Amino acid sequence: MTQLRTQLLKLAVPLVRQHGFTRTTLARSVLALPEPHAAPLPDSAVTTLFGEDDTARRTLISAWLEQGRTHMRSVPVEDVKGALLARLEYNVPVLVHLPEAFALVASPRVGVPPLDPRPAVQHAVSVADEACRAAKDVSIGPSWYTKRITLAAIYASAELHQLTSPQTAPAFLETLLDSASHVQSTLTEAEIFTQYVAKSWVAIAKNSGVF
Amino acid sequence: MLRLPRGGLRPRLRSFIHTQRATPSSVYLDPTRSSDASTSSTPDDLSSSQRRALEAALRVDQAGEVAANYIYAGQFAVLRRDPAAGALIQASTYGQSFTQKKHLTVMNKLQAQHQVRPTALWEVAKIAGFGLGAVTALMGKEAAMACTEAVETVIGEHYDDQLRGLQGSTHPSLVLLRDVIREFRDDELEHLDTAVEHNSQRAPAHAFLSSVVGLGCKVAIELCKRV
Repeated sequence: MTQLRTQLLKLAVPLVRQHGFTRTTLARSVLALPEPHAAPLPDSAVTTLFGEDDTARRTLISAWLEQGRTHMRSVPVEDVKGALLARLEYNVPVLVHLPEAFALVASPRVGVPPLDPRPAVQHAVSVADEACRAAKDVSIGPSWYTKRITLAAIYASAELHQLTSPQTAPAFLETLLDSASHVQSTLTEAEIFTQYVAKSWVAIAKNSGVF
Repeated sequence: MLRLPRGGLRPRLRSFIHTQRATPSSVYLDPTRSSDASTSSTPDDLSSSQRRALEAALRVDQAGEVAANYIYAGQFAVLRRDPAAGALIQASTYGQSFTQKKHLTVMNKLQAQHQVRPTALWEVAKIAGFGLGAVTALMGKEAAMACTEAVETVIGEHYDDQLRGLQGSTHPSLVLLRDVIREFRDDELEHLDTAVEHNSQRAPAHAFLSSVVGLGCKVAIELCKRV
């Protein structure tokens, strides 16, 4: 059954554009099988395969997000900017459905608090990680983390911007990346200068005969 | 006045690269091999558990090489004023020599190749490594050697475990990884022998010191696998 479930999820993703992140989309996925069913799945079958109520919709959203990461791997890009722009482009066909999907993902499954930021953070970080892989990033140590955290924040901002102003989202993303790059180079220069000053102080202290 | 060898530095650089071709890890230091499947690809048919195991192994190995470099930096910082001990630390087959730095360089390339998350304890590894090296060096040259002996014993066993886990792998990158780990294990065991030759077992409270350092290494390995 797992194999059928996986196959149906894969077939349902392209239908999101038309039917949204709904149980109807999952039900209609059987119509796209190599040997298509005559009619969509009944709701009970959707529940059996994908869970009750919003659980099924969350499963569909997760599959769509995973397909987005696969899309990033398939598009040839030269740098992080290209990878993130490709990911924003992936959102375009389903933009009208995204606000509700993100709201559903951010809602906790049970109880309080009213908002669960973890799925959104996980999504942004995974997109950032894919972008770094596509750009063949070779960061090591703490810079591996800072680069991804920075890119995740940038992408999350650009994606939110895209929900309200899709036409300006790519330019907004580029502006954020350029600003981050500028900040990074400023910090690097500050670090070099600080090391230079520290070494000078050590040399002065040694020459003063204190040690 | 600095005298360059006749013909400049290029013949020596070529000779150096040719020498490095003799070892599996030298492939990672040869720019002409950077697009080989063994150095530029990662298997995409691993199960989730195999993938997690590979990532954990490389994460720990990289963290270990970071810590090792800083252990020797700590030892050298304390012992450099001792003519014999300082020269031993710097010029032996381990310490701040090319071998240990080569290990770290290769591990960094492996991390990028297999798209592995480095340990979040990177800076802790550096500080703890330097501290361990400096403290044991302050106890004396023999204690520094005992520290090296204990660390290399744990690392040798750790690499042996990884080699067993990589048995049967057929992807070119994993075949090369197995050879690299075998090479590094042999290097570390050579370091262990050198430490013993330089009287590590005469260190004060050798058994206790070795136990504490060895236990610390094992705890660090388990942490870096996960964090």
